[in-house]
Amino acid sequence: MTNENEKTSEDVKELVIQRLGVMPSNYKLSIGSKGTFTKNQLINHVIADDKIGNQVVKMQMNFIKALTTGKLIETLNKNG
Amino acid sequence: MDKLILVTRPRYDDGTEYLSAYAGEVLKKTEKDFLVKDFEGKDAIKENVEKYLKRKNPKLLFLNGHGNEEKIYGNKDEIIFSLENVDLIRDKIIYARACLSANILGREAVRKSSGCFIGYIFPFSFWIDDKRSTTPLKDKIARMFLNPSNEIISELLKGHSAKEADEKSREMMISNMRRLLSMEQKNEPGATGMLQILWGNYEGQVVLGDENALFN
Repeated sequence: MTNENEKTSEDVKELVIQRLGVMPSNYKLSIGSKGTFTKNQLINHVIADDKIGNQVVKMQMNFIKALTTGKLIETLNKNG
Repeated sequence: MDKLILVTRPRYDDGTEYLSAYAGEVLKKTEKDFLVKDFEGKDAIKENVEKYLKRKNPKLLFLNGHGNEEKIYGNKDEIIFSLENVDLIRDKIIYARACLSANILGREAVRKSSGCFIGYIFPFSFWIDDKRSTTPLKDKIARMFLNPSNEIISELLKGHSAKEADEKSREMMISNMRRLLSMEQKNEPGATGMLQILWGNYEGQVVLGDENALFN
């Protein structure tokens, strides 16, 4: 069970890293008081599994949840 | 007295530089019709803000900067509002463009109060184009995130309720998300990453307290 969870966690990290990897290199993400980060800095935080990395993973997972539950599409279809 | 607006917009890092610049854009439109007390940069400190609140009692507060569940910060992370002085922001209309502050501070501000607090339960985040970081208003990437949030203040100033201001802002976010989705379908780099962040702001934006509160 523990191993399975750890594996899932690694899979999620890999997914997040892949998605960050396609961001243009001149883009930076401002995450409030945590700071503003290039994609490579974000990837390093995800790999390090630190607070900023976890925040990035959380944002990604929230988005994936909205996609898979249909909430995002439902919202985008509002008002035509 | 009802037409007074208090604004805080520190600027000491990329995030606050952008928030301050976009707040400034809304404020330009207010000069003729409203009296704006603009605590910008180093002036955005607790002492100045508290003094003004006690003396003038403005009804609308537009707070820009960093935040957490219980606090909103000013210049260089100096606390402006926390649970210690939350009484000062009761019975007001507040838009806090600051991370997370709707979770505890916002809820406390509207408890036993006729006021309204529009803010975020998630981190307020946005992508910027580093090539434009010295001229934030020319940054088309950041604009996708910051224009919808500016809309909240614009709508309040036009005399719309807090609920209507939130709805207008959401409409703009939906429109931008549709654009991003169409960019994603054309495989334009970065579209999904931007969509993801804008979705976070959409989901995290809340109106607490009296949704029918009016400023103007």
